Amino acid sequence: MDTLQFLADGFGVAFQWHNILFALIGVIIGTAVGVLPGIGPMSGVALLIPVTATITSGMPTGAAAASSIILLAGVYYGAMYGGSTTSILLNTPGESSSVVTTLDGYQMAQQGRAGAALAISAIGSFVAGIISLIGLVLLAEPLSNVAIKFGPAEYFSLMLLGLAAVSGLAGKSMTKAIMMTVFGLMLGTIGIDAVSGIARFTYDQPILFSGLEFLTIAVGLFALGEVVKTVLEKDEETGSIAKINRILPTKQDMKDSTVPILRGSLLGFFIGVLPGAGATLASFFSYTTEKKLSKNPEKFGKGHIAGVAGPESANNAASGGAMIPLLTLGIPGSGTTAILMGALIMYNIQPGPLLFDEHPEVAWGLIASMFIGNLMLLVLNMPLVRVFAKIIQTPKKYLLPMIIAISFFGVYAVQYTTFDLYLLIGCGVLGYLLSKNDYPVAPLVLALVLGPMIENNMRRALTISNGDFSIFVTKPLSLIFIVAAAAWLLVPLLLKLKGRKIIINEED
Amino acid sequence: MNKKFDRVAGIAFLLFGILFFIESQKISDSAYGSTVGPKIFPMGLGIILTALSIRLLYETFKYKAEDTEKEKLQYKKFFIIFGSAILYAFFLEKIGYVVSTFLFLLIAFQTLERGKIVYSIIISTVFSVGVYYMFSGLLGGSLPGFPLF
Repeated sequence: MDTLQFLADGFGVAFQWHNILFALIGVIIGTAVGVLPGIGPMSGVALLIPVTATITSGMPTGAAAASSIILLAGVYYGAMYGGSTTSILLNTPGESSSVVTTLDGYQMAQQGRAGAALAISAIGSFVAGIISLIGLVLLAEPLSNVAIKFGPAEYFSLMLLGLAAVSGLAGKSMTKAIMMTVFGLMLGTIGIDAVSGIARFTYDQPILFSGLEFLTIAVGLFALGEVVKTVLEKDEETGSIAKINRILPTKQDMKDSTVPILRGSLLGFFIGVLPGAGATLASFFSYTTEKKLSKNPEKFGKGHIAGVAGPESANNAASGGAMIPLLTLGIPGSGTTAILMGALIMYNIQPGPLLFDEHPEVAWGLIASMFIGNLMLLVLNMPLVRVFAKIIQTPKKYLLPMIIAISFFGVYAVQYTTFDLYLLIGCGVLGYLLSKNDYPVAPLVLALVLGPMIENNMRRALTISNGDFSIFVTKPLSLIFIVAAAAWLLVPLLLKLKGRKIIINEED
Repeated sequence: MNKKFDRVAGIAFLLFGILFFIESQKISDSAYGSTVGPKIFPMGLGIILTALSIRLLYETFKYKAEDTEKEKLQYKKFFIIFGSAILYAFFLEKIGYVVSTFLFLLIAFQTLERGKIVYSIIISTVFSVGVYYMFSGLLGGSLPGFPLF
């Protein structure tokens, strides 16, 4: 079994002492990020990329990339654990994928069962994390074997599908979402063209030759955008934290939540694999499924434990599932995975089918570390949940300026230019204005990452076909991707015309 | 939804799209050894964005303006922090990381909430000095640390 051998090697990487440390730091910061409302997994990961880049600067590229991706992924799934804590204790979801948890979780806390709710969501998240990782291990090899046969035309269409999926589901207005995608693609063309070496839109400014740095834009739009929002809009006082009496769930609780956890995990995993649909959608789906299948649906919303177990498992499973298209195809399906991809590219490591051949230590090291990270989260979350809940009381007056200072430090330490600092500030204000007015910024960042690759693949495909655009529809796989991309955009539009309400994925 | 913002944004993106299209015409047509040059992709994007902006502007005429109650935004605090962030970026290389970070944090802390100046000073100092020595001492990075007089 090749896969088992690779997995064992991966554990070898993940068990190096500094990688264990990185995973631990990642999941702790991730939990904190999840607890703090305002900072979502996306801003958290973006903020930490430059920090990890500087920490790992002394190591060889492959090892450095493995270590930092271990930390960053830890932040991502750690945030899924943390988000539930505040939903249950305070009725304020720490991030959007925990919104449904408030429905039953807070009710449970009101009834004095906060501990059980927290424990079940930690256990559910753990089970889901493991299930989605098993899926990842099983699917990674076959998928990347398929993907390796893709030519430029297939890649172009696949990336188009990724963009279409994310813009089709993001935000309230699809026009705005597609505009943001196109805008991101445009920003991606700035700089020297990789194929021909011709400078585009640089206006002889040397600083623009290498293009706009993805990192600066992501940190600005997400992390600083949130800071601007919190500074401008008066924050509501946070309510009182519910008491936690007993942490371990009762036998009845366990019995009630076993099936929802398993169902939520599988559902979340498959939703996570789909591009565009992320953790938020997964948790909503799981909640409605549980309610529909339940023998007594009237219990939901009144503190039913299945209403916590299902969605919390689903959002964690989705974050694991989202790793699959990123690692095997090199196509991020959501904002957060787009940022993870940007981080890998910074280390000159291209996610995609070749990743498993060229850099097995990164791919399998990450997968193995996610097993360890999930275990750490379970161990940390059960006894330390009271401590984590306290994080929410961090005064904003100290938190906000420090976020600005950290992002300044991070961007400057990687880029060494003041230009990027101004760009950072500009993106912060822009990010606030855009997301405040329902212009989703996640497609913009995704497009910025994918832009150069889309263009290169398009041009390579067209070079093969001598400029004939029909290559994209005559190749069967490419045609399937393009049809799927079109469907992703058209189906919601048609549903809207019929007057149906559609679920949108507002992931931050 | 904010109608006014959508109109302004629609016009801004429209202009950006047109400008992008015009500017893309200056990029040379074909690259050596390839039939498809570096021009076609940006040009297409310019056209698409222009079309989408027109669509957005058209949409703003369709929906009714919602009476959104005016939220009170804390412009004063925002502009002080925004201004000091720009100054921070401007002075970072000139007076060094430690001093500029310390000043920025102190101003920002006090802007968000007056009082407890001792805490503010302690936290700013610990942060700026701590980050600097962690980064340049332990990790061997280089930051402009102190003013060069």
